[in-house]
Amino acid sequence: MSMMKKNYVVETIRKAQMVELLAKGERMDGRAPDEHRPIKIQTGVIQKANGSALVNLGNTEVLAGVKIATGVPFPDTPDKGLLVVNAEILPLASAYAEPGPPSEEAIELARVVDRGVRESEMVDLTKLCLIEGKSVYTVFVDVNIMNVDGNLFDATSYAVVSALRTAKMKKYVVEDEKPKATDEVVPVPVERVPVSVTMARIGDALVVDPMSEEEAAMDMRITITTDDDGNICASQKGEASTISPEKVLEAADMSIRIGREIREKILEATR
Amino acid sequence: MIPGDVIARGDYRYGSYIEKRGDSYVALRVGLAEVGREGIKLNPLTGPYLPRPDDEVIGKVIDINGFGWVIDINSCFDGFLPASFVFGREFSPSTHDLTTKFRVGDIVGCRIESFERSRDPQLSIRGHGYGKIPKGEIIKLSPTKVPRLIGRRGTMINMISERTSCDVKVGQNGVVVVVGPPEGIVKTVNAIKMIENETHAADLAKKVEEYLGGAPVGS
Amino acid sequence: MEAKRKLIGEDGLRLDGRAWDQLRPIKLEVGLLKNADGSAYIEWGKNKIIAAVYGPKEVHPKHQVLPDRALVRTRYHMAPFSVDERKNPAPSRREIEISKVIREALEPAVIVEDYPRTAIEVWVEVLQSDGGSRVAGITASSLALADAGINLRDLVVGCSCGIIEGQVVADLDDTEDKEGSGDMPVAIMPNLNNVTLLQVDGIYSREQFQQAFELAIQKGREVYSMQREALTKKFFGDGQPSTSEEVD
Repeated sequence: MSMMKKNYVVETIRKAQMVELLAKGERMDGRAPDEHRPIKIQTGVIQKANGSALVNLGNTEVLAGVKIATGVPFPDTPDKGLLVVNAEILPLASAYAEPGPPSEEAIELARVVDRGVRESEMVDLTKLCLIEGKSVYTVFVDVNIMNVDGNLFDATSYAVVSALRTAKMKKYVVEDEKPKATDEVVPVPVERVPVSVTMARIGDALVVDPMSEEEAAMDMRITITTDDDGNICASQKGEASTISPEKVLEAADMSIRIGREIREKILEATR
Repeated sequence: MIPGDVIARGDYRYGSYIEKRGDSYVALRVGLAEVGREGIKLNPLTGPYLPRPDDEVIGKVIDINGFGWVIDINSCFDGFLPASFVFGREFSPSTHDLTTKFRVGDIVGCRIESFERSRDPQLSIRGHGYGKIPKGEIIKLSPTKVPRLIGRRGTMINMISERTSCDVKVGQNGVVVVVGPPEGIVKTVNAIKMIENETHAADLAKKVEEYLGGAPVGS
Repeated sequence: MEAKRKLIGEDGLRLDGRAWDQLRPIKLEVGLLKNADGSAYIEWGKNKIIAAVYGPKEVHPKHQVLPDRALVRTRYHMAPFSVDERKNPAPSRREIEISKVIREALEPAVIVEDYPRTAIEVWVEVLQSDGGSRVAGITASSLALADAGINLRDLVVGCSCGIIEGQVVADLDDTEDKEGSGDMPVAIMPNLNNVTLLQVDGIYSREQFQQAFELAIQKGREVYSMQREALTKKFFGDGQPSTSEEVD
């Protein structure tokens, strides 16, 4: 839960170095503009959760936990299970994070990641229905940001996806018009793997997977989530600035290409 | 030593980060202790920078108000550089534009002019070598390691500077700016990392010397 | 009707096989978070808890500044996925009370007078909870404070003891806490031999109270040696902390 106060000031010297390097196609940490940091995914780290994933994207560290129970469906979707994605930037994650109710940044983060998961139909919610209109599975994915070093969007997305892919739930059957738990444990019905790719604009260049310092120097950010078929299922432009239509299409192509590569990594880690 | 450990018993003179309890001298920080005839000293291995008058520090301008620049000096308090110290006594907010000297994000070498318990540290840039640092590689290390980086009477920092052909400005607050040839900068950064990670090594000076090699960069 | 389960078997062992005075396995790691000024991670049985320290730093909001000492802020918070039934992320009354007692357990060790007009923030995040999380949180927080290089009189270490089926036992896990008859978390500054946390939940005879209390302190000292090991590992490598050094 936090307010990322906009007072992380990037040093003018560093910003100048950043722009100078980008003109040569390089970044401060040696990456190419379309290169992401090393991704490390560990699943099953919280045994009390139905599923969990700890993701390191460079120094950004994010922990997602899945808790599954049964409950009442929303009135307008009586045949669908509940899926709720929640995110919190913990005060321990950054000197600029404070405890308290979620800031607009944390809420935007949770909603963008949720859209990616929901629109891609990653989880077939109709398979989570027990008794239409009365009882469904409820799946809560809570994300704790543990260390901030840029690109919370992608790290959170990979953690949510990895946690859901490896989550197990108690199977319920319907007996006497009531849901009853069995001893059988089944995986969550996951069909697809949405992958988000975030780019920041520094000067004229678009850089993939910005770290904190690059985010402090950027004037625009765009996140695009693609599914297994290369379709775009969610997108969000951030920061109060403009982007040309050509750049949007350039970003879309980059996220389809890079998304494919990252999807392989996620599939590998969540086998 | 870890906090709570007894360093020695008896009757000694003692320095910071140590508390006397009866005839015991107790460490208050994680650090390395020295016990000698001149007294007991604890060299901390971790901890914040607390401003001391006359310290040279390197800071970053994070805000500007009508009367001066607020500077992040990597401490528990931000420093304040009064505009009158830079523009002189004729300074007035209506006639002088502070951004003509330093803007937000600029790196500035300052001196701690004063630090009273009731307000933020006051900075100045009087003296040779202070003021805006227009370029260089910025490195941060724990302020507790700065004495090791400088060395007794500057021996370590001079050696690094010579062998890498770089100008190395070290702030007491753990901020360092290196200017010089690219290969020299890489070597300086690595030497500083070595000092930070192996502070407790008895032969650290030798290790750093070996790493830097004999001939200065570019010769 | 299901018979109430026995927490101590015929062989005198507990449900997880421990003896009455045995601690659960404990693992400690110092300095794992990159941004925090100090941090520590503890696994205590099934508990998984991270403590982080930021500070000393400026106080916000400014009106809370104390002129002659540091303001110590603490938050104990449980992740929604840390317990059997998902917990709402908003702070509960229990978390708020625990935040307060943790702060009051740590503050006596912090030399707050050395940092006037600043704030020292301690964040305890419970990623998985299984009984005794507040003393585990205190144990990790103390390491995080030492890691941050804040002047400390001593470390603080804790352990919880209680009563199950009429017997005093050390280190209750979640099941024993819920189904037993008493829980007593205790925290001490081991070198100064002072108690900084004491809570009692349940009914103890005078004798049982003393037994549980002294057992908690004794076990706490065992955990203290693990704290020392963890700090030594991070700062002094695999060697012993030296008492003299060659200054070049």
